[in-house]
Amino acid sequence: MTLELKHVTKRFQALTAISELSLKFEPGLIYGVIGPNGAGKSTLVNLVSGTFPPTEGQIALGRTDIHRLAPNKVSLAGIARTYQNVRLFDRLSARDNLEVCFYPTDKAGVWKEVLLPSYKRWKDSERRGHCDRMLQVCGIEEYAETPASLLPYGRQRILEIARALMRDPRVLLLDEPAAGLNHHETSDLRDRLKSLKHPDRIMIVIEHDMEMVMSLCDRIFVLNFGKLLFEGTPAEVQASELVKDAYLGTDDELDAIRAAAKDRKARGGLRAHADPRRH
Amino acid sequence: MFAEDKLKATGMMSPRTLNFVGLAIIAVAVLLLCAVPMLPNYYIRVINLVLVYVLLGTGLNIVVGYAGLFDLGYVAFYAIGAYCYALLAGPQFGLHFPLLPVIAIAAVLGALAGILLGIPVLRLRGDYLAIVTLGFGEIIRIFLNNLDHVTNGPKGLTNLDRATLFGMQLRTPSDFYWLLLAMAILIGVFVFRVERSILGKAWLALREDQQAAVGIGIDKTRLKLVAFAMSATIGSITGVVFAAFQRFVSPESFTLQESILVVLVIVIGGIGNIVGVIVGAAVLIVVPELLREYAQYRMLIFGGALVIVILMRPGGIVPARWSPDAVLRRLVWR
Repeated sequence: MTLELKHVTKRFQALTAISELSLKFEPGLIYGVIGPNGAGKSTLVNLVSGTFPPTEGQIALGRTDIHRLAPNKVSLAGIARTYQNVRLFDRLSARDNLEVCFYPTDKAGVWKEVLLPSYKRWKDSERRGHCDRMLQVCGIEEYAETPASLLPYGRQRILEIARALMRDPRVLLLDEPAAGLNHHETSDLRDRLKSLKHPDRIMIVIEHDMEMVMSLCDRIFVLNFGKLLFEGTPAEVQASELVKDAYLGTDDELDAIRAAAKDRKARGGLRAHADPRRH
Repeated sequence: MFAEDKLKATGMMSPRTLNFVGLAIIAVAVLLLCAVPMLPNYYIRVINLVLVYVLLGTGLNIVVGYAGLFDLGYVAFYAIGAYCYALLAGPQFGLHFPLLPVIAIAAVLGALAGILLGIPVLRLRGDYLAIVTLGFGEIIRIFLNNLDHVTNGPKGLTNLDRATLFGMQLRTPSDFYWLLLAMAILIGVFVFRVERSILGKAWLALREDQQAAVGIGIDKTRLKLVAFAMSATIGSITGVVFAAFQRFVSPESFTLQESILVVLVIVIGGIGNIVGVIVGAAVLIVVPELLREYAQYRMLIFGGALVIVILMRPGGIVPARWSPDAVLRRLVWR
């Protein structure tokens, strides 16, 4: 199924975050969305995942109009996402973080689960089986019983991606998945993301880490001031003078952007020390 | 390896060895519960009150502990249940329903009231939610106070019927003790099973991060309304039994102080944990009774004790990992 944005505009009062943007995403590919700060990348993720509706324009996944659906229905339509600053269910164990994804499909049987112990045991073992397999695939099975907030930061990122994968989404939106990760973790993440590529799945990665974007993505959209500046393969993007001027800049500026990205990562990493009892 | 970890975590090295000390503790507890009716009436009344607050705490815990919605108006549902009994089984309208139909009616009305409160506060969280629910509680109380024709205003309704259950009349405090104990066990087990079902997990997810919960397809509106309705139903049912026991209701039984006491039961005991609710109710009802002889210093000492408890154990007296099943397992197996 194709994901298509048609003339999408999003305004926050006077600020136009995205204006008249039309994009088309084909299944089976990994898309990168890059652009300087404030280009509208995160707004794009929030629009596609239904966090807020567009001011104008349409977003369609196959024949479903995503922009008309309630936020939780968007997720049920097959769009899953991760967040720029990891958002897990902190005091729930890693397994429960995944298990709760079964609520939308299992909610009709809740009363049966409450009243019939045998049914609940069966349901529990079925759900746990799924969750444990997912934890294993992601290499975090040792943390199954650990509260999510106590996982190492890199593992929290992985767990969040695992949670997004639980419902086998058609569209996987990753908002800065490498933010806060060290070099080793980033390359590990890149390999994992590559392995998630699937003929029926659209993957959209928003990222500041250029090396990761260039080595991971099949196609890249460059946004600037809420508009599409350039579209092409990683090689084309790197060769484009237009992109260089707007974003990557001269060699000196490139270093400055790297430094900024590093700073951003460091800030993201702060959450690793978050106190689980803080809430 | 994973199974071993789990065994270590729950403190049982070999699952086949019985813990005789634990079993003895269970036996003594059951004996004590059976021996309660032999105590003088005053003690039975205190224990009944503890059970009432266990029930109220279990109900409110659904909203506060699981769904993470701070509700300061819980007493309103308690009042609705109590007035249900007073009006349906008393001289006011000449209606004389037995206990069970009144409980059924009160359960439905309570659930409706819970949804009615739930709808306008769906968008609110934290402090704002606390203020609005507090207002709701007060509105119901003032309503009861001023609706003279129906509720007899501040004078209250007296001379209510003695409750009849399965053809038997409930007369003594020990009769109500058995009724309350049975209700506490039934509702406690039910709520615990809900907590452990996928619904309970979805509530916890909603409590932890609402936006992320919606992001995985959870319908927050429905979940919050179910929590409000279930919690209100339990409050309302408890109110019926309270009215049947007192055979008298008046608006002054349903002040803000009662709501705060129920919240305290949860917070002091250990939020989100039914074992915590039981301990919290016991502490908050029994301690003031023990302090009766210190007359005017009673509340001062009590308040000071609460401050000390919260300073020493900010998460409540009972740790979160002492869930009902974990406690039971630890008592049965060594």
